[in-house]
Amino acid sequence: MNYKFNWSVLWTGESGQWLLSGLITTLELSVAAWLLAVALGIISGALRTVRVWPLRAAATFYVEFFRNVPLLVWMFFWYFAVPPLLPQGIQDFLFAYGLEFWAAVCALGVYSGARFSEVLRSGIQSIPKTQLEASVASGLTTFQAYRYVILPVALRIIIPPGTNESLNLLKNSSVALTISVAELTFQTRQIETYTAKAIEALTAGTLIYLVLCVSIATLMSWVERRTAIPGLIVGGRQRR
Amino acid sequence: MRRLMGFVMALALLVAGMSPALAQQKSTLDKISETGTLTIGTRTGSPPFGYVNSKNEWVGFSIDLVEELIKPALEKKLGKPIKVEKKESTPPTRIPLLSSSAVDLIAETMTDTRARRESVDFSLTFFVTGAQFLVKKGSPIKGIKNIDGKRIAAQQGSTNARIIREKAPKAVLREFPDQPAAFQALVQGQADAYTNDGIQLAGLKAKSPNPAQWDIVGDFFSYEPYGMAMRKGESDFRAVVNAGLMEGIESGKFFEIYEKWFGPSGELPYPMSPQVRSFMLLQVVPK
Repeated sequence: MNYKFNWSVLWTGESGQWLLSGLITTLELSVAAWLLAVALGIISGALRTVRVWPLRAAATFYVEFFRNVPLLVWMFFWYFAVPPLLPQGIQDFLFAYGLEFWAAVCALGVYSGARFSEVLRSGIQSIPKTQLEASVASGLTTFQAYRYVILPVALRIIIPPGTNESLNLLKNSSVALTISVAELTFQTRQIETYTAKAIEALTAGTLIYLVLCVSIATLMSWVERRTAIPGLIVGGRQRR
Repeated sequence: MRRLMGFVMALALLVAGMSPALAQQKSTLDKISETGTLTIGTRTGSPPFGYVNSKNEWVGFSIDLVEELIKPALEKKLGKPIKVEKKESTPPTRIPLLSSSAVDLIAETMTDTRARRESVDFSLTFFVTGAQFLVKKGSPIKGIKNIDGKRIAAQQGSTNARIIREKAPKAVLREFPDQPAAFQALVQGQADAYTNDGIQLAGLKAKSPNPAQWDIVGDFFSYEPYGMAMRKGESDFRAVVNAGLMEGIESGKFFEIYEKWFGPSGELPYPMSPQVRSFMLLQVVPK
């Protein structure tokens, strides 16, 4: 009556190849979505702190609208609801060339962007007001002050929560399997289909996610130490 | 330190993965007797085998077989009344649900295969079908021979997707976790055809808002005998399940239930062919 383990299903047949292709798709999807999320996050996070209220309102609307709807719904939205709004020609082109991947990138990127935005805003708001005033007083425009003074500092401060969001994004990429993107979780299920060995396949997938996330976290903590601003950090391991 | 933590976590995971197997020392019959409940895994979106109907009731052919044939057999064996509890299972979750003891019996649309028999045990075959394609009326797709380069939607974890991959490697497979999503992709044109077992396509077509818009095409390109799955090595439990099915086939009750769902006035008219009828009867061994 006990479940019989057969770990060899993970390296016999095509399993290894599937896991590898799933891993590559997961990374491609996560990197593309991350770039989109960071870009959107920086823009809207910065806009949420400016004086001009229409810009602030627009950024607030973006954040609240996109982070407060489940990611799964966004996946379906970009995959099922957006294409019919486009002209027939573009629709046919998208259907033929990997719509599901780009729909997943949009869903994940726009959703995570709203979350990144809040992280960045908290970073900016932790910077003393005097820095902005001093930069403007020294002759910079507000845009220049953000570009050369505020954002470089804020981005360094938010590395730990930013890493958190990045890891979330990577793990959330598994939701893309609902719109038929053949990423890592999808491929572990594929192994299950062929071998009926679910626990082995899921364990392999879990370990891959774990290794990926731990590597990213390690890398980011290195980046954090390298870019730490002397005199601004209270404690923790510091650059030697 | 970080490395050590990683190792410890990996170990914890492995143990967690094995624990369902280690924990279940009790036999399924004992478990049912103690809890007074038979927990089955079935579908919510696969008419007429297991689905939620327009009155919001969770019903179907597979569910009826359990309620009317297997439940009485179990009650006779255990000498006390039991109740049937339903949980949702899907192709990717059904074997894990069984091996973790979350459900005791999978009664839905699961094809009995040799690979699956290495992980679970199956009852007698209770339905026979094969894979076909659902397409928009007038589609150039006529069967598995001309799907090269076409986008074919399938259900993740189904045998159909696997066969397409083997027999038509040039087709572009799009796999969805459930039938509604796959059908939506077909409706909107993300997919050119949707493949599933013929009977399920017929059910889907009949339930769609505009059945005349759809065609089921192609010869069966696979053989899909449906069985009910159980945890491996539970021969006592399996004997009761099979006895229930056999008695039903022998007494004609099975065919009555079939008529209710697939007869001329049933949910989905799908007459049983003489071959299938005799196959069902031949599965019954003497008392």
